[in-house]
Amino acid sequence: MKTIAIAVVVLFTLAALGNVNADQGPIQFSFVPQWIPQAQFAGYYVAFEKGFYAKHGLDVKVLRGGPERPSAEWLKTADSGLATMFLSTAISERAKGTRLVNIGQILSKSSQLLIAKKSSGISSWRDINGKKAGLWGAELSIMPMALFRRYGLQVNVIPQTSTVNLFLRGGVDVVSAMWYNEYHTILSAGVEPEDLVVFHLSDLGFNVPEDGIYCLESTYNKDPAACCRFVKASLEGWRYAFEHEKEALDIVMKYVNEAKIATNRQHQKWMLEHMREVIDLPESGGGPAVLKEEDYLAVASELMVSGLIDNIPAFSDFSKNCDAGNEK
Amino acid sequence: MELNGYKQEKYFIVKAGGRMDAISAPEFEKSCLEWIQQGETALVVDLGGLEYMSSAGLRSILVVGKKLKSIGGSLSFSSLTPNVAHVFSISSFGTLFPVYDTLEKALGN
Amino acid sequence: MRNRGLGFKLILFTLSGTTAVFLSAFLYFYMSAKDVVKRYVVRAAQHLTHATAYQIESMLRGVEKVPTNYAALLSAGNYEAEDIATLPERMVSANPEIYGAAVAFEPGAMTAGNHYFAPYCYRKADGCLANVMLGHESYHYFTMDWYQIPKELNRAAWTEPYYDEGGGNMIMASYSVPFYKERQGEKRFQGVVGTDIALFGLQEIVSSIRLYKSGYAFLISRNGVFITHPDSSLIMTNSIFSIADEENSSLLRSIGKDMIRGGEQMVALQSGLLLTSKCLLYYAPLSSIGWSLGIVVSEDELYESVHQLGRAVILIGLSGVFLMTIIVMVIARHITKPLKDLSATTVEIARGNLNAALPDIHRDDEIGILARSFEEMRLALKEYIKNLTATTAAKERIESELKIARNIQMSFLPKAFPPLPGKKSMEIAARLEPAREIGGDLYDYSLIDRNHLFFAVGDVSDKGIPAALFMAVTKTLLKGIAETGMDPSEILRRCNVELCGENDSMMFVTVFCAILDLRTGRLKYSNAGHEHPIIIRRGALPEYLQVPDGFFLGVEEESRYQTMETQLRPGDKLIVYTDGVTEAMNAAGELYSHANLMKTILSCSSLSVEEIAAEILGSVKQYSSGVSQADDITVLAVSLTGT
Repeated sequence: MKTIAIAVVVLFTLAALGNVNADQGPIQFSFVPQWIPQAQFAGYYVAFEKGFYAKHGLDVKVLRGGPERPSAEWLKTADSGLATMFLSTAISERAKGTRLVNIGQILSKSSQLLIAKKSSGISSWRDINGKKAGLWGAELSIMPMALFRRYGLQVNVIPQTSTVNLFLRGGVDVVSAMWYNEYHTILSAGVEPEDLVVFHLSDLGFNVPEDGIYCLESTYNKDPAACCRFVKASLEGWRYAFEHEKEALDIVMKYVNEAKIATNRQHQKWMLEHMREVIDLPESGGGPAVLKEEDYLAVASELMVSGLIDNIPAFSDFSKNCDAGNEK
Repeated sequence: MELNGYKQEKYFIVKAGGRMDAISAPEFEKSCLEWIQQGETALVVDLGGLEYMSSAGLRSILVVGKKLKSIGGSLSFSSLTPNVAHVFSISSFGTLFPVYDTLEKALGN
Repeated sequence: MRNRGLGFKLILFTLSGTTAVFLSAFLYFYMSAKDVVKRYVVRAAQHLTHATAYQIESMLRGVEKVPTNYAALLSAGNYEAEDIATLPERMVSANPEIYGAAVAFEPGAMTAGNHYFAPYCYRKADGCLANVMLGHESYHYFTMDWYQIPKELNRAAWTEPYYDEGGGNMIMASYSVPFYKERQGEKRFQGVVGTDIALFGLQEIVSSIRLYKSGYAFLISRNGVFITHPDSSLIMTNSIFSIADEENSSLLRSIGKDMIRGGEQMVALQSGLLLTSKCLLYYAPLSSIGWSLGIVVSEDELYESVHQLGRAVILIGLSGVFLMTIIVMVIARHITKPLKDLSATTVEIARGNLNAALPDIHRDDEIGILARSFEEMRLALKEYIKNLTATTAAKERIESELKIARNIQMSFLPKAFPPLPGKKSMEIAARLEPAREIGGDLYDYSLIDRNHLFFAVGDVSDKGIPAALFMAVTKTLLKGIAETGMDPSEILRRCNVELCGENDSMMFVTVFCAILDLRTGRLKYSNAGHEHPIIIRRGALPEYLQVPDGFFLGVEEESRYQTMETQLRPGDKLIVYTDGVTEAMNAAGELYSHANLMKTILSCSSLSVEEIAAEILGSVKQYSSGVSQADDITVLAVSLTGT
């Protein structure tokens, strides 16, 4: 924290000579990732540790995410709060009246999977018909359910928490998982890739964006530039993380160990490497990580069909574009 | 050459057999002179077994003969083989020393 | 150089031999020792693993019984919510191993509309028991592993270990048993009786296992996650698969899979994360719970005692070899030094110095015998050479004498062969082949006057220089007396008289001499004990010439000789020879003899005297080929050509 303070003072002096408004000082934000510390949020940790936020005149406090602090709930009462969450979660919240806005869409592609064991007789997605599938929670089951509906698959859905143990023990035939996370967890339990059949939702017509950065509309309106600088710095963090994998993992493991998470470096390494596939980094700097309207509508309509929302909020209300023009 | 010497009555008989040539003649000469030294003076040389005599043999005989003559002894021969007889005749040894056909005849005298 | 070779070879072979034997024995012993130790460790690990597994499983089985019994109870009977609510406390209080217990019902099973009914009791840090109702907005217990797994699998199950949220960093595992209600012949799932066990007791049992210096035991869950490990940072965070991945070890991954499948064996592997490079792992399953217990020992530590022993033995062996080298060197030197001295002396002897003294070697062994033998040989050699030198000197003396004799002999022979200058009325040819040891043959011919040819052949009785000299004297006398024109008998008589004086050695010479009147062909001749010549009258067979008797020259001073005469006609030939011809011996010891001579002459009687002489000589030589010539061979042939 001391280091950050010194950096902030230096930046303050520099900012006084530069483009930043001298009377404002560094903008303060709190940031909460949508789950417990892991490489899924490496970009943000790296951006913080390497002083990218501070460089952009932001004084960011990185809070611990997880089941005790669901990011959507927390954001409702966080005045200068920023958080990541699933697009589907954010749309649900907005539809229910929470006035949050998307200031950057980080993961533009879907990493969600349906995994089955070859030994259960499943080789194509059609074989899922009539089988038992374990799906987690409301949000994460939206897309798989939509898939079942679209292809007319009769599936015995078992709601479960996000462990893979029921699947490993044969309690369900299919389990939903994230390519960057639970798939590797299954491999780390001694299962060989040859023994599994993997269905990427993105291959089956459900390539929807996932993690995005959100804040309250009021927070955004107070200082849109600052919010956008946060997005830009975060993307810089991601670029740095991909270019310096070992250092990035060191940072991630630091947060992991502080939180006493039961994970290991190999798992985080897999996670970080697979984040590469789904994060689009612009050519240079932190440019637009922009949500496309068609993707927004695709997710929103699925939520409607599932009965989770009863209205689709206007896209322009929901998405705030942080392209090159907006930051000052 | 085989050479034997033995006393018989008053004669000393020297029996020589084989060949008397330059190699064996000195032995004959030496042995006879030894027997003469021992006191024999009447020598009868039985050449019954002697097949060959060379001039060296004749010389040895002459030496022995001369020695015996000087001490008053005698030297005679018997049983000459044809080869030896021929040599004796050519050299006229027969005129110098008595030659008998047989040993008995030589001893009988 | 040689010396070093022997000693060096001795050392080399003994050393390599013993070293090879020692090394092979050592290697065999070392390998066997390692093998023995390994087998012992396998056995020990096996026992230890089984004992520990048994201990853990007994403990866990004991725990399992509690929810099993209650589940059975709940399946069997009817009950009210109030009764149920007390059950958890009863379970916890009665069983000290149980940390927490819950009876969780399916939504709507206990009370209609009431989603959650899951009374739960647990031990607080101070030991008191607390009762709560599980299940609220953020705790949907029916999606949790401990509830869902037994529900979906229709059997009791242990969960994966987890960290206890509330009471510190305790690692727990839950055992839950499903219970059912039979309604209308159908078994319907009602709920789950679950118990939470704190694993630290178990952890202590396993982590107290220590083998050698760094060997340890570890426990992994169904998913391969470390429940215990000396490195606490690995516990719950890493699995055997994650460290296999980190080390890129497919062996370790397959071992992990075998472990969670319930396999049991001893493997050797290299894993820096597990222990050290090169370790032995023995694992056995805790079959009831699906976990696996592994025991790891470092191979190096395992074999440390063997290595130590090995090092000690090597050291002993090396010093032994070193000692042996010294000893062998000393022995080698003991052998090679006298040999070196001996050979130095023999080199000296070989150079000709037979007086070189052999080194003093007073030993009774082979070297001593060798030295003594060498000395004997040296002395014998010295003696032999002395004799040889004397013999050679004597031989050389004789050789030189013989040479002188031959020279004397040859110098006296007339060299000019016919034709005699100016005389065509006769032909004369002579051959004299001297023996090695000069026999003293002679021949002579000369014209006394214009019409008279004197010729003679003689044979001295002795050999060597005295014979040669005697021959020379005889020849000179004969020639000298002949030139006075006397008769042959008179020539012989006078010659004899001269030779008899001063002749103690009893040398004598046989002579045939003749005088031929070249005008008339009248031949006068006399003989002194010489071989009868052979006459070939023209047109007749060869026959012996009748010669008068006559004694050798040089013996009796009063010897008398006669002259005989015969008429030679043109074409007649006279052949005079010495007994070297007739007494020439062949390899079988047979004499050439008069018979052969006559035969030879018969065959060439028509040839010239030159040819006849050559023919006779050739025949004799051929006859006696291979036998060294004992006596001089002389042939003189005269013929009257009468022109």
